[in-house]
Amino acid sequence: MTPPGNALFPDTVVLARNLSQRVPTADGMLDILSEVGLAVKAGETLAITGASGSGKSTLLGLLAGLDQPSSGTVELLGQRLDTLDEDARARLRAGRIGFVFQSFQLLPALTARENILLPLELAGRPDAHERASYWLDRVGLATRATHTPNQLSGGEQQRVAIARAFATDPEIVFADEPTGNLDADTGAHIIELLFGLNASAHTTLILVTHDDVLASRCQRRLHLVAGRVREEAIA
Amino acid sequence: MKIARLALWLLQRERTLKGMNASGEWRVLLLALIIGVGSVSTTGFLGDRLERAMSEQGAGFLGADLLVTSPRPIDAWPAATALTTSHALEFPSMLARGDAFQLVTLRAVEATYPLRGNVRIADRPFAADTVRPAQPPPGTIYVAPDLLPLLSAKVGDRVQIGEAHFTIAGIVTEEPGQLGGVFGLAPRVFMRADDVAKTRVLQPGSRVTYLYQFAGDAAQIAAFGAALKPRLDSTQRLIGSREGVETLHGAFANTDRYIQLTALISLLLSVVAIAIAAHRHALRHYDQAALLRCLGATTAQLRTLYAVQLLTLGLLGSLAGIVIGALMQQALASLVLPDTVARLPTLGFAPVGVAIASGLLALAGASLPALMRLIRVSPLRVLRRDLPPLPLGAWISTVVSGSALLLLIAWYADDVRLVGVFVGALAGLVLVLVLLARLALAAGRSIQKMSHGPLRFGLAQLLRHRFDSTLQLGAFTLALFLVALLALVRSDLIASWRQQLPPQAPNYFLVNIAPGQQQAVAAYLSQHRLKASALYPMVRGRLITKNGAPIASTLPPDARDNNSLRRELNLTWTATLPANNVVLAGHWHSSPSGDGDRRVAAPVKGTPAGAPARGTPPDTRPSGGPGAAPLLRSDPSAEISVESGMATRLHLAIGDQLGFQVGDQTLTARITSLRSVKWDSMQPNFFVIFAPGQLDHLPASFIASVYVPPAAVGALPGFVKAFPGITVLALDKLIANIEAVFDQIIGAIQLLLGFLLAAGMAVVVATLLASLDARQQEAVLLRTLGAQRAYLAKSLWSEFLALGLLAGLLASACAEIAMALIADRLFELPARLHPWLWLVLPLAGALLVGMSGWLTTRHITRVPPMQAIRALN
Ligand SMILES: Nc1ncnc2c1ncn2[C@@H]1O[C@H](COP(=O)(O)OP(=O)(O)OP(=O)(O)O)[C@@H](O)[C@H]1O
Ligand SMILES: [Mg+2]
Repeated sequence: MTPPGNALFPDTVVLARNLSQRVPTADGMLDILSEVGLAVKAGETLAITGASGSGKSTLLGLLAGLDQPSSGTVELLGQRLDTLDEDARARLRAGRIGFVFQSFQLLPALTARENILLPLELAGRPDAHERASYWLDRVGLATRATHTPNQLSGGEQQRVAIARAFATDPEIVFADEPTGNLDADTGAHIIELLFGLNASAHTTLILVTHDDVLASRCQRRLHLVAGRVREEAIA
Repeated sequence: MKIARLALWLLQRERTLKGMNASGEWRVLLLALIIGVGSVSTTGFLGDRLERAMSEQGAGFLGADLLVTSPRPIDAWPAATALTTSHALEFPSMLARGDAFQLVTLRAVEATYPLRGNVRIADRPFAADTVRPAQPPPGTIYVAPDLLPLLSAKVGDRVQIGEAHFTIAGIVTEEPGQLGGVFGLAPRVFMRADDVAKTRVLQPGSRVTYLYQFAGDAAQIAAFGAALKPRLDSTQRLIGSREGVETLHGAFANTDRYIQLTALISLLLSVVAIAIAAHRHALRHYDQAALLRCLGATTAQLRTLYAVQLLTLGLLGSLAGIVIGALMQQALASLVLPDTVARLPTLGFAPVGVAIASGLLALAGASLPALMRLIRVSPLRVLRRDLPPLPLGAWISTVVSGSALLLLIAWYADDVRLVGVFVGALAGLVLVLVLLARLALAAGRSIQKMSHGPLRFGLAQLLRHRFDSTLQLGAFTLALFLVALLALVRSDLIASWRQQLPPQAPNYFLVNIAPGQQQAVAAYLSQHRLKASALYPMVRGRLITKNGAPIASTLPPDARDNNSLRRELNLTWTATLPANNVVLAGHWHSSPSGDGDRRVAAPVKGTPAGAPARGTPPDTRPSGGPGAAPLLRSDPSAEISVESGMATRLHLAIGDQLGFQVGDQTLTARITSLRSVKWDSMQPNFFVIFAPGQLDHLPASFIASVYVPPAAVGALPGFVKAFPGITVLALDKLIANIEAVFDQIIGAIQLLLGFLLAAGMAVVVATLLASLDARQQEAVLLRTLGAQRAYLAKSLWSEFLALGLLAGLLASACAEIAMALIADRLFELPARLHPWLWLVLPLAGALLVGMSGWLTTRHITRVPPMQAIRALN
């Protein structure tokens, strides 16, 4: 299934057509993704669900321009990714795309506040320090500013990661199993935080999860089975 | 620039991370860099100071623009009207004051000496000195400061040289060309050239060096030197103020290479440690790099980021190394050049640039391959942790760091051959060490299987990280081996050489005995019941041809620079084979009377025809007086016996006709036998022995050795008084002098071996760090399984102690082999084992490796498992 071009949908921020990913393995070529098509409009929330190994993370990586598909195209924020090289894709991400990962991915050497500062510095924001403090406060960790990741709990680390994702005022936030490493209670808190921030910042949120509760909070849901889109539901 | 700031910020934050586990590689990298740069800048700084001492004081150091030295007078000079000249003579003699006597080196100078530079004279030791002519007033001498205490003399005292008396008129505190003249076996004494004759020390056959100084404008000096050079033979030297560098560096010139090599090996080991640390740094920062890419950093930005970090570390490490080098070079200078260190120019800035450049080159070469992979990491890694980093590209790393190293070595050694030898020797040594390490580890496996508990676990670690263990073993064995070798050479070789001398071996040499004195000397010795060797006549001559061709042309290029060709040989003649000689090939001289062909009139032994009995004026050539019999240019029947070692070195065989130049006469003789000589018999020994009848007509002096028991040393002052022209060489002093030389050289090298040991430890720490994460994981696992902290500690200790012990054992083996070779080849001593070595080295190894290992890894036994698990996530 192929969604219409973005000329017709001017506010489309992510547009994928016929995305396939095949990788060579020890016993032949492996199809991780086959013919995936997708359009996400600005401000939408989309959940990508599926069993483990169904290709969710792979799809996320392709949409965010972290990897290149074997075939098909991705348009991200109006740019055809296949026309950009690795560095141009990186520049596109800088400041405009936020990430939240299952394993937090905070730099162990930096404090909570410094981890939030990092993308702001990279994007060259003049108000980097104020913004970092502001976002640290937004996720309720103002008192933990000087703590390094290994002095924080998993939930706290993920809050730092969320603050880092939103700190640059991105247009899209990609999240890969943001609650995957957290217990149910903490996970619920993280979900509230994520959706709360997303709503107030009018950000597009694309998140990968196999948690139905989390998926149901999204406006749309894309279900993958063995690399193919099985169902696209509108919540 | 933002990225640069970010880079420094990240670097700074990592530094503050707690525990070796987190930031250890930066520290090791920095430490290794400091060690490497410290070792090379130590030698760099000192070399530069010496170099500048030469160029700044230039001709002043040489005393002239051009200096020619010759064992014979030179009459025919190229035309050089515009040059000023000064002639001097240098020869050994005894100097006596009352019952005290001392061997000195006399330098007899004219009023014009020195042509360049200054001689400074003081009236008392440590008193203020003034620039004065080097030529003392008639009847007086100036002496080197170290002579006075030897004779308990002071300025103003009367002393005797040969048959003349002189007054000590001053102390020479500074003179040209004395950079490094520290080994004062025979302190220097200045006298007037026109006072030489009355001492009557010089006679035919005396060892004299003729010094000719020239000064003038540079072009004329150059032209004169060029015209003169082809006229000089291999025993004569032409020294310009440039060539003077090597000659005048004295002790340093000899030790320079070994010191440089030691510094280079330290640098090499440092680079190994840096490479390992950089590799681990890259491994630990893939996540960081991937995250930065994910957050929008471009390759260029990452490159800048890591380049800035590297440059910062490189500069910091180099600067710290330079500071250490600046301190160490002063220590080195005081060791190698104790007398002149105060006169050297202050530290120069030239080596700073070189040291920084070599620090950056070493760092870049060793860490670039790892950092390149880091920069090219895929951002996808943030999603898929299992994504392997780019292939290791081990060969790229090796090629890049290898060529950086070669560049560094070539740069420092400044000598292609030396680089070749060095790289070859090192490659061989590495190969041997790797092989030995592998063997040792294989042996360790069987021990491991028999052991149990923490020991078994520790040894398993050692065997599992086989590459690491080999590297650690290799690096540490190398360091220990070199340290041990040096200590052995210093303490053992000379001692055992001394020990194996027969108890009543001669301990004094009597040199420069005039022909007429033979009977009197023999009578004096027997009167005092001193056992002496036979008196051998000695004629000094130069080997010039073999079978009619110039000797050098018969030799392969690398054999031409042979000592036997650069010196005049002591030639003797005797009918009977000396006691400590064995004929190896051919036959000993046939009896002279049996040889009808002999055309030389039978000489009267001991009274050379026409030779003045005593006291030759210095400007008269010591050979062939006016009444000398005309010499046969060739006597096909003349026989010589050649020492077998010399025959090998100069490619001589029985039947070869050798041509000698004695004075201005040449004579040829045929090799009829090859001899082995027991050099340490302390008898007068000779490379070349003529059959009687060939040399007898030439002016000769005589030499003998004598055993003076401790109780009889009282007879020596009387001997010196009775025979003032005879030089008495005390073997004890010779040996003490050799030992002093050894001490200085070895002290200097030992200083640099400190760097080497530190670099070896850096390699151990770096390799341990590289396996630290895996160890941490295992430790956590063991602890969650219930292992106690003590168990972990014991297993770590057993691993490092085993490693250190092994390194010590391997180093002992290497040192024993090297010692055996040195003893056999250089000292002709039987090899012997050094049991204490096998105790001390393994202990030292266990201690050093154990300490560095424990300090690096100890915290993995302390971290609570929960925290460790968290840190690993
Ligand atoms: N480069 C690759 N080479 C080989 N196999 C790959 C590669 N990338 C992904 N795979 C495989 O493709 C499948 C899908 O991977 P992906 O990470 O997208 O799954 P996922 O849906 O995110 O699963 P999970 O819920 O466990 O995270 C997995 O079986 C993975 O091992
Ligand atoms: Mg996944």
